[in-house]
Amino acid sequence: MRRNPMGFLIAIMLPAFLFLGLVIFFPVIKGILIAFQNYNLNNDLSLVRFNGLDNFKAILTDPNFNFWRIIINTLIWIYVSLFFQFVLGFILALLLREPFRGRGVYSGLVFYPWALSGFAIGLIWAWIFNGQFGMANDILMRLHLIQQPIGFLSDPSFAMISVIIVNIWYGVPFFAIMLLAALQSIPKELFEAAQIDGANSVKRLFYITIPYIKATIVSTVLLRTIWIMNFPEIIYAMTGGGPNNATNILATQMINKILKFYDYGQGSAMGVIIMVLLFACAIIYLRASGAKEEGAV
Amino acid sequence: MKRFLLVLCLVVALVGIPAFAETKTINFLEVMTSPERTAMLKGMIDEYESSHPGVKVNLISPPYEQADQKATLMLNSNQPLDIIEVRDNTIKQFVNNKKLTNLAKYYRSWKEAKTLTPVSVAAAKTVDNTPYIIPQCIFIKALFVRKDILEKNGVTTLPNTIAELINTCIKITNPAKNQYGFAWRGKSSEMKFSDYFASAYVKDIKKDAVLYSEEKNYFTDPRYVQGMKAYVELFKKGAPQDAINWGFNEQINGFVSGITPFLIQDPDAIPLIDKMLDPEKYVVIPVPVGPTGMAYLDYGFTGLGIPSYSKNAAQAWDFIKWMSSAEKNAYFCEHYGALPVQSTAFKTNKYFQGKHYQAFLKEMTTPSKYVFKPFPQSSPKWPGWGSIHEADMQSVLLGQAKLETVLAKWKDYWTK
Repeated sequence: MRRNPMGFLIAIMLPAFLFLGLVIFFPVIKGILIAFQNYNLNNDLSLVRFNGLDNFKAILTDPNFNFWRIIINTLIWIYVSLFFQFVLGFILALLLREPFRGRGVYSGLVFYPWALSGFAIGLIWAWIFNGQFGMANDILMRLHLIQQPIGFLSDPSFAMISVIIVNIWYGVPFFAIMLLAALQSIPKELFEAAQIDGANSVKRLFYITIPYIKATIVSTVLLRTIWIMNFPEIIYAMTGGGPNNATNILATQMINKILKFYDYGQGSAMGVIIMVLLFACAIIYLRASGAKEEGAV
Repeated sequence: MKRFLLVLCLVVALVGIPAFAETKTINFLEVMTSPERTAMLKGMIDEYESSHPGVKVNLISPPYEQADQKATLMLNSNQPLDIIEVRDNTIKQFVNNKKLTNLAKYYRSWKEAKTLTPVSVAAAKTVDNTPYIIPQCIFIKALFVRKDILEKNGVTTLPNTIAELINTCIKITNPAKNQYGFAWRGKSSEMKFSDYFASAYVKDIKKDAVLYSEEKNYFTDPRYVQGMKAYVELFKKGAPQDAINWGFNEQINGFVSGITPFLIQDPDAIPLIDKMLDPEKYVVIPVPVGPTGMAYLDYGFTGLGIPSYSKNAAQAWDFIKWMSSAEKNAYFCEHYGALPVQSTAFKTNKYFQGKHYQAFLKEMTTPSKYVFKPFPQSSPKWPGWGSIHEADMQSVLLGQAKLETVLAKWKDYWTK
């Protein structure tokens, strides 16, 4: 008896497909549907109806939370964090490439923030940066660098910088780990040959190291962009988006809409906006990584 | 052999089922969870079960952060649940979605309903003047004062009025010595504080059912504006500027460290402060009154309700009744740090006879001075109001917006 190979394939793939459908696609589709409904826990849920683009209009015209300010905050949060995470992570990876005594212990210590939960980090740093009882102010005052304590989280001009500093502290190990792995894959002979040709260390960095690990750089940077955008824990624990919305980003506002306003409709609409933006990022990422495969190295 | 086994199974099943069926299990979801509180509740449940053979109470205790969500989820999907802990901020949505049983018939026949404190009665009947829950814990505010710090700063009298409180705070504030007056609340539910200060300047609210609503509010009333101005002045001259980002923990820290010797808080602060500070070093007094000679106080609560689809409502009610008796409720509140719901508890329970709790009793029994006003929790404008108020208030304190502009905006928010 001949078996139908197509049927067999479908039969073995079906469980995995159903599982993925249930845990990934169903919530996504449900979320998108809610974004177009007046789904608010304060109203009778039997009155939930599709309301077109009302949720999106409400977000864009919200007099209490200026949408464009939240977008600008989100961009600052992503790109300033990303820039310093990358530069410091790269430097760290370069330093850790050379063997030295105690490198294992040292790199373990350096990488440990990466293992902590974002919310826990936020709570710890909220106390370090506390304007009244915080360690940061105490150290700066003892060093006579400042006369008055700084309201790291209560002064809107410092609040964003403070949460970004914490995010940088958290994200550096990721780049260090990834870039270190890539660096270790560069053949030693390339450097030796360059050295014989008289290339100095700066030239070796820009003509050998960076081009060689370009693929890793592109993919990690784009991945991190997505992750940082979806990483509200630190901000939520440290300032809750305040003072006066100075640190409110798309992801924190989405949580606020659901946990404080009980407005799942607008919260989901916020989620859809985030998803569209991330989708754009992903397309750029795929283009960039595709281009790399044909060209360089 | 197979047949024999089958018959054996059948026999076991037939004999066994009725034996098991005699024990009725009721599911109880708590939401204000903490390890100590869950352990205490389990102890109480054991006590209940030993005196009520045939009833088993299955306690469900999700982690605090997810508990409200879990409650909503369980109710909306009609999961087996017979008793649910309901909070002031969830009761409205549960009733709206027809998930809570109207307890009126039980309530009427319950003897101890008559000895509930007036605040507890109001809490029980929060929605539609109907008892959907029996409150278990009441939270109202009083003024905590570090007498030792005040004496160090040459202050020997305790404030009776808001003006006196503000003046004392400003007088002792000296940033060079890291000494301030008031443990300001800048975030999460900070509106409760400005509401208290500003409303105490307006006598008319006494007639209204709630502090503000879509029908009526006093945000732009000159007396209210005056109260808000006093409150803002307190921040500028009598509180740490960092307090714009202070929540509950920072307030407690400011008080215990002595940086801010005046704190307005709920009774759950007492066990916490007692762990860190000699109880003799501070006193708790009723909140100061405004120029009107009175103050409006909000109240928070948690209570127990029965899901509308519960199949064990009678058993559930029996357990709720047991938990809500003066003795059991006082025991529960004593170890949790809330005010008991039965007025008799303040007379019979040693702990609540203690001096730190007398301020709360005085507030609850002096209606000429302390008027309890619920927040407009049934209004669709209510959820999210906290976030809007917080951001607006912060912008006023930071000098980024004018007080009058913000007050006009609030009036519009509520009336339009």
